Amino acid sequence: MSDQNKVKPTAPAVQTTGHAWDGDLQEYNNPLPRWWLWSFYGTVVFAVLYWFMFPAWPVGDGWTRGVTTASVIEQGQTVDRPWNTRYQLIAEMQTGDAALRQRAYAEQISSASFQEILDNPEMMAFARSVGRGLFGDNCAACHGSGGQGVVGLFPNLADDAWLWGGTPERIHETLIQGRNGYMPAFGGVLNPSQLTDVSEYVLSLSGLTQPGEAVEPGREIFQGPIGGCYTCHTPEGTGLQSLGSANLTDAIWTLVDLPAEASTEAKRDALSAFIAKGVQGNRVMPGWSDRLSPTDLKLLAVYTHQLGGGQ
Amino acid sequence: MAHATATATQQYNYDIVRKFAIMSVVWGVLGMSAGVYIASELAWPFLNFDIPHISFGRLRPVHTTLVIFGFGGSALFATSYYVVQRTCQTRLYGDRLAELTFWGWQAAVGLGAISYMFGITQAREYAEFEWPIDLLITVVWVCYFWVYTMTLRLRSQPHIYVANWFFMAFILATALLHIFNNLAVPVSLTGFKSYSLFSGVQDAMTQWWYGHNAVGFFLTAAFLGMMYYFVPKQAGRPVYSYRLSIIHFWALIFLYMWVGAHHLHWTALPDWVSTLAATFSVMLLLPSWGGMINGIMTLSGAWDKLRSDPIMLFLITSLSFYGMSTFEGPLMSLKSVNALSHYTDWTIGHVHSGALGWVAMVTFGSFYHLFPRLFDAKLYSQKLVYVHFFLATVGIVLYITAMWVAGIGQGLMLRGFDEYGNLAFTFIETVSFLHTPYVWRAIGGALFVLGLLVMVYNLIMTSVSARRHSAAIEAKLAAKMAG
Repeated sequence: MSDQNKVKPTAPAVQTTGHAWDGDLQEYNNPLPRWWLWSFYGTVVFAVLYWFMFPAWPVGDGWTRGVTTASVIEQGQTVDRPWNTRYQLIAEMQTGDAALRQRAYAEQISSASFQEILDNPEMMAFARSVGRGLFGDNCAACHGSGGQGVVGLFPNLADDAWLWGGTPERIHETLIQGRNGYMPAFGGVLNPSQLTDVSEYVLSLSGLTQPGEAVEPGREIFQGPIGGCYTCHTPEGTGLQSLGSANLTDAIWTLVDLPAEASTEAKRDALSAFIAKGVQGNRVMPGWSDRLSPTDLKLLAVYTHQLGGGQ
Repeated sequence: MAHATATATQQYNYDIVRKFAIMSVVWGVLGMSAGVYIASELAWPFLNFDIPHISFGRLRPVHTTLVIFGFGGSALFATSYYVVQRTCQTRLYGDRLAELTFWGWQAAVGLGAISYMFGITQAREYAEFEWPIDLLITVVWVCYFWVYTMTLRLRSQPHIYVANWFFMAFILATALLHIFNNLAVPVSLTGFKSYSLFSGVQDAMTQWWYGHNAVGFFLTAAFLGMMYYFVPKQAGRPVYSYRLSIIHFWALIFLYMWVGAHHLHWTALPDWVSTLAATFSVMLLLPSWGGMINGIMTLSGAWDKLRSDPIMLFLITSLSFYGMSTFEGPLMSLKSVNALSHYTDWTIGHVHSGALGWVAMVTFGSFYHLFPRLFDAKLYSQKLVYVHFFLATVGIVLYITAMWVAGIGQGLMLRGFDEYGNLAFTFIETVSFLHTPYVWRAIGGALFVLGLLVMVYNLIMTSVSARRHSAAIEAKLAAKMAG
């Protein structure tokens, strides 16, 4: 290669243009490389063919449509339409491989009851496949990719404690309309020693402290008119799923991280502080009915149900 | 030699060239460091430190502005002012006017970068400057045009050298692009905020007509102008083909203006616009390669220079990267390829194979040629040029390979279906996949900056030795006079 090129400059065939700039700056007048020129023509031919095949040049109020077509189904009839991206999308959604497979399952799902879906391994496999994506793209940002939630912020969806109910129907309802968790702030109602007392009692409900004399003052506040906690949490402390009020007897704490507190005193203080503040607008789940299709919502309910402790 | 350069400095305005060249290197260091920092933010998000001013969204336009307009723009001012004087054999027209282009341009770049950190932006890619800075740029550009044109008119050469065509096309096209893309209505005359005159898809179309021609005329045509002077000069050989330079110049100028819409495939843009953009992009391939052929073939018969001259190595490698990225571009502009590549890091890799491989490398090569002549000294170290070359090349290769992996990988994941016809991956899974390539990209970028710092050291030492050398001569002269 280099030998061949070394002779070139001395070959008389190639002349410079005869101009010189800045001392030694000159130009040879080599012809256009053949391969370059023919490749260039090739790209022009490619472009012209492309223009014949696809929408290309604006003419008047419209444009040249090209000879390529897309087959779409309109009113039960397969018709060929001039290709454009809209018809290509329609065609792919109507007859595309993935779309067809997805649609077959989705139709089955949309006409089935929750129980039928739960009993059918094939439909469940589909729900897990589509739900993983739906959950990952829409729910995981708050609830975590495995639905594990964040204590103090977002409930765990993978355990069997359900604030608003864990049946597929209730989960479905939660998804459609959203939820708004609420608890009044007791800081202005109860004085600090009353807050401590009621916390002591609440801890005893799940066995964190021993029931007995010590929790008696707190029990009175909880079950009586001063605190009135029983109205939402029920006298047994098991909560009401119709209100989203927490079950206080299952030792599951979603808003105060009690297991993280070392001593009983620290747990009690953390709980007092929480009861003083209540739950005010920071426990909101949006409704998804205007973001997701009915079938997607149904599938997502099934997926969430099977994450852990669906009821 | 000393005598010849003494007259040369009077004959030519080297002062303005020196200023722009030095600022180009300064902006280069700042802008590329900002690039490495934001690349690291993507790999390790804690680097945001929850400080809004240095978050990715604000530093990214700082990076692009400093490297395109600060580094690239100043390099183009420097080399175009140098080349037009040398090839017209006349002093640059209007010392004061040229001075104004210098201070105006530096102010625009600096103000732009600061304003982005405070969230003041038009949010138009590569045109983020708000309207007062846009006006400043317009004034600077008109002065630049005037200085350049008048110098050409006052030339003492009968013909206009090819490099000047490219510089002239760059100046004219940039004026056109800058003005039309920045047509906006300020909310008030005392505030920075403005709204574009265009809306919807027309706004997007205008923006990408600008965006792609910024690549075409600012980062391609103008740097070809640079190449057309410094490659034959450094090689000491004639340009390969005058005919090719004419044909590819006009083809390039004509075709580039059509292709911007390929940035908007599969959007609300009408299909026929997409088609025209894609086909003109394909037709642009060979005209782009014309410049590469003319540059590389200039070395035909003197390939051995690649073994002995590291500056030549920079120049020829830059042309190879130019050839590669102008092949990749038309490929990516095809709608089917674009469906995979768009919105992924493949685009980022593509732009950097052009920006690092072509724009920065050809600038480095030209600066190694230019600085010793500006300071009337020998280059401090050839060995360090080799060090710079290898750091830069390894850096680029790491960078673009990482981005191919990231982009093609994410593109395939985003369109992956499972056996049920559902999307196989969640979006966040495609993001966490990017971590490893992002780390490699940051390393590649860091190597590139390291190479640049080696160049800075080399150039500083060159100017220091020049000063020492002239002091020694003066001392000798003084001693002789005294004796």
